[in-house]
Amino acid sequence: MTLTDRVPGLALEKRRARFARRSLASDVLITCLWASGAVAVALYLSSGSVGRTSSAAEIITTVGAICGLVGCNYILVMLVLAARIPLLDRTIGHEQAIAVHRTMGKPALYLLLAHAALLLTGYGMSAGVNPIAEIIPMLSIPDMPLAFIALGLMITVVVTSLVAVRRRFSYEAWHLIHLLSYVAVAFAIPHQLSVGGVLADSTWQRYYWIALYVIAFGTIAVFRFVVPVVSSVRHGITVAAISPVAPGVTSMFLRGRGLSALNAVGGQFFVWRFLTRKTWWHSHPITLSALPTDTVARITVRGLGDGSSRVLNVPVGTRVMIEGPYGLFTSATRIAPKVAFVAAGIGVTPIRAMLEQGEFGPGEATVLLRASQPDEAYLWDEIEQLATRRGAACYSLVGPRASGANSWMSVGDAQRGVTIESILPDLANTDLYLCGPGGWLDSISAAARAAGVPRHQIHSERFDW
Amino acid sequence: MRARAVIGSVVASAAVLVAGWQAGATVDAATVASGHAPGSRVGAEPRGTATASPASPTGVASPGAGVALPSPGSSAPGGGGTTGRPAGGAAAAPAPVAPPAPAGAVDGVYTGDLVDTVYGTVQVRVAISGGRITDVVPLKLTDKGSESARYSREAAPILRSEVLSNQSASFTSMSGATYTSGGYLSSVQSALDQAGF
Repeated sequence: MTLTDRVPGLALEKRRARFARRSLASDVLITCLWASGAVAVALYLSSGSVGRTSSAAEIITTVGAICGLVGCNYILVMLVLAARIPLLDRTIGHEQAIAVHRTMGKPALYLLLAHAALLLTGYGMSAGVNPIAEIIPMLSIPDMPLAFIALGLMITVVVTSLVAVRRRFSYEAWHLIHLLSYVAVAFAIPHQLSVGGVLADSTWQRYYWIALYVIAFGTIAVFRFVVPVVSSVRHGITVAAISPVAPGVTSMFLRGRGLSALNAVGGQFFVWRFLTRKTWWHSHPITLSALPTDTVARITVRGLGDGSSRVLNVPVGTRVMIEGPYGLFTSATRIAPKVAFVAAGIGVTPIRAMLEQGEFGPGEATVLLRASQPDEAYLWDEIEQLATRRGAACYSLVGPRASGANSWMSVGDAQRGVTIESILPDLANTDLYLCGPGGWLDSISAAARAAGVPRHQIHSERFDW
Repeated sequence: MRARAVIGSVVASAAVLVAGWQAGATVDAATVASGHAPGSRVGAEPRGTATASPASPTGVASPGAGVALPSPGSSAPGGGGTTGRPAGGAAAAPAPVAPPAPAGAVDGVYTGDLVDTVYGTVQVRVAISGGRITDVVPLKLTDKGSESARYSREAAPILRSEVLSNQSASFTSMSGATYTSGGYLSSVQSALDQAGF
């Protein structure tokens, strides 16, 4: 606890200034992200041939080229968003970055499909053949077969990521397919240089695209490969012990060197890779369930997916690669004078670590725990002890889910007339940290919004496993 | 705060697009002014000098100005004879003598300037006989990028027949082969200038 945290007014001022800074930075980032598409178009326009297009075929060809440039631009932006860049994580959070990445996937693919369709149409019109017949001569052009393969790969990547389709794949299979997007982007480069001559000739355009490719592939190389390898070697983390918490839920203790240099705070997660023959190729984002000391960290996992149950069986002594820490589900995003930590199921893990961090005064915090059955009360004993020690109130909601708008609590609590206001009286002045499964999160967020909690006071982390 | 990001994105994108469009218009205007504007009626009388190769002739009346170009990219090095049809790839014939007087075109074969375009250089040779353009032979056509080579192949015969029927290079460019036709017509015009046509 720092001095400012003990002086409520000052802490509040600091939090508001920090929030203003962060939201400005995030708005600037979002503006840059969208405006980059406009930059791609503007650079194309500035090369000067567009104003001279006259025939329908030329106009179609020009629009097609622009679609390709904008689509490619946004694909590269998506790579940047998925590169786990610390600056992005601190500003908008990894989860938010991935959410934006997801929403961009389909529009970017539509642009690339339009690019192919319009250019086939435009070239076909000038050659006097239909777009389908134009495919054959196009394939005879150097670099174009690769470009067609790139488009096919990109279609595969986006289609397998559609919610309905993704459910049919295991995470591992989906992830392997998703890595094809790197191949797709790389395969598309040659035709941009040779056939789409604009990249080679107009200097500003050339520099812009080279810069974008370097940033996209550079950040991925640095933050997803180099930094993890370096920090894994430096900290030498191994599995120290595994202890069951409840049926299907296990805590894992990890031993390493100089872990405090990682500066992990309560609520953050690492991406873990357990180096056994069966598990090395699959990484798991798992939240710390306790604050790490300089030598020991703890995570708590509920084994549902194939991958996470296999993780529970790795032998003691297994070497572990880490990426992180990541996440904005921390006290860094506090803005209101009071705080409530609300968790359902295995969502208690970040709450447990944040309570331990304890950036709140006595009487300022409330803990609310939700479980469908008593045996899902993972780590509740630890949480209750911490709450007592830190002067935080602690409530629980146990039992089958209530219906309708109350589905975030149990039937019994709904019948007793419990509301979010009855648990958290000073709701308007409270930061809500919500962690649990998606449906539950939606329900309690809606209840909080309906009770008048501003959106920026609701911090949520989705735990679907 | 999201509203600010949305407004910021819209304003920034619009500003960037306008700037790009403006820059493109400036480039267009510059190419029109330099007489190298494919597809533009303003450039219907291209002088072909703005982007001519350094070895190109500069005057119409100076003897020897029509000396065969070394034309690095050209397959036919010679300046041609007076037969009206150059023997493509044949050994270089004596250079045609440029007309001593500008009154009327002098029969002969004239090699046009090398004209740079975005898609490569273009150069043609024009045959004049009896005061009329009798043939246009492309020595070098746009070939940068495989698409443009195809366009060139398709465009060249059409451009040739247009020049022959119009008896001038004042023909607006072909859609779909803007650069090729722009360069082609510029080169034709420079050859006609040499002939005093």
